[in-house]
Amino acid sequence: MVDFTLWDIVRNLLLAARWTVILSVIAFIGGGLAGLILLVLPLTGNRVAELAIGGYVQVFQGTPLLMQLFLLYFGIALFGVDTSAWTAACAALTLYSSAYLTEIWRGCVASIPRGQWEASSSLALSFGQQLGHVILPQALKVAVPPTVGFLVQVIKGTALASVIGFVELTKAGGMIANVTYQPMLVYGCVALIYFALCFPISLYAGSLERKLNVGRR
Amino acid sequence: MLSKRHFLFALSLSLATAAMGSAHAQSGLDDIMKAKLVKVGIPTDYPPYGFVGPDLKPMGLDIDIANLIAEKMGVKMELVPVVSANRIPYLQTKKVDLVVSTLGRNEERMKVIDFSVAYAPFYQGVFAMKSTAIKSFDDLAGKSVAVTRGAMEDEMLAKVAPPTTDVKRFEDQAATTAAFAAGQTQVIATSVSNIGVLSQRNPSLPVEYKLLLRDSPCFVGILKGDDALRTKVNDILLAAKADGTLEKLSQKWLKRSTGDLPL
Repeated sequence: MVDFTLWDIVRNLLLAARWTVILSVIAFIGGGLAGLILLVLPLTGNRVAELAIGGYVQVFQGTPLLMQLFLLYFGIALFGVDTSAWTAACAALTLYSSAYLTEIWRGCVASIPRGQWEASSSLALSFGQQLGHVILPQALKVAVPPTVGFLVQVIKGTALASVIGFVELTKAGGMIANVTYQPMLVYGCVALIYFALCFPISLYAGSLERKLNVGRR
Repeated sequence: MLSKRHFLFALSLSLATAAMGSAHAQSGLDDIMKAKLVKVGIPTDYPPYGFVGPDLKPMGLDIDIANLIAEKMGVKMELVPVVSANRIPYLQTKKVDLVVSTLGRNEERMKVIDFSVAYAPFYQGVFAMKSTAIKSFDDLAGKSVAVTRGAMEDEMLAKVAPPTTDVKRFEDQAATTAAFAAGQTQVIATSVSNIGVLSQRNPSLPVEYKLLLRDSPCFVGILKGDDALRTKVNDILLAAKADGTLEKLSQKWLKRSTGDLPL
């Protein structure tokens, strides 16, 4: 009655992979922008911002993404605010990835020797100019590998959004494996598609590293 | 995985406690009628109760029941795919109006949600070809039985089968059903959902229900305290039971009579 050809399996998985891609893009853009703001704020020397952001990073690094999604989708609804699955997913993925990216980038900025700040300030560069012309270009070189490592992690992490009703790649794979009784084939295809999504990013990171001449600082 | 489930369950318990404090007397039935739409949580990875076809559209016994309820209410239906970890939170936060998801009734769950009358059987049993004569567990003596290692039915079979039964244990349900379908064993002990898949994939196989191992029928889950909605769903299900619709659906998807469904 229900028969899946190999093409049916692959076609459905590719369709479901759309959601994986969309959720990943949301996490990249939302997390990247929020992460950048959270990175710059404490650099201005604002002690309160530094403490608050430190707490924020600890909370979102220290709790599983699954729980963040769950609480944002179901928890908030109990107080009469009806969050849609999209709102919850966007919010959770942005919060989660911004916390990690801020911390990764903070480390990269901290690795730039203090003397660079002092030298640029002795040349009467403003804070923005110091950051834009001196610090960030150097920190960028250090930031490429850990950032890409995290982004690849996020792509795979979007599978957790199935808990709030997204039928993305992993969920679709589970559904199909349960009707076809061919888990090896189905999950094999799922793994290949994830790889096809992640590998180009790693390749691009490699070429970016060469372009930025990361080896020589 | 287990601890994650437990955590989610504990979380949903505490969510429920929080929700009950602010629960309003208004019935979900009014909202459904006003919106002309009922949102139903259904399984999508549990054949034959809820699974997907090649177009990834859900179908199965639970979906047919959801359809029946929506039709009798005279409203449109929106299907929301749920899994066992999130189906109760979906209900408690009113993101769905009903859960028709092979939901069994137990003490723990009755504390946090309400249940309709049962709409379909769910059970673990002993199955074999029509030609194999099995009337009682004693008839299993000397026969080979395929069962999944560590599954509920493995445990129960061990208690009731005579010692001379040749129990062959397999690592997962797929391997168990495959062994039976290939004729490597005469008998299979498994849950009705697997037999549903088996007979779907091998329509010519004359497999038949023989003995019952454990019965835990399916109920529709309803928000705690929403008596108006529960009464409405019960009326629809009882009418469907009286006119033979439930029996027909059970035969269609499970190849077995509904038997005696508890109220």
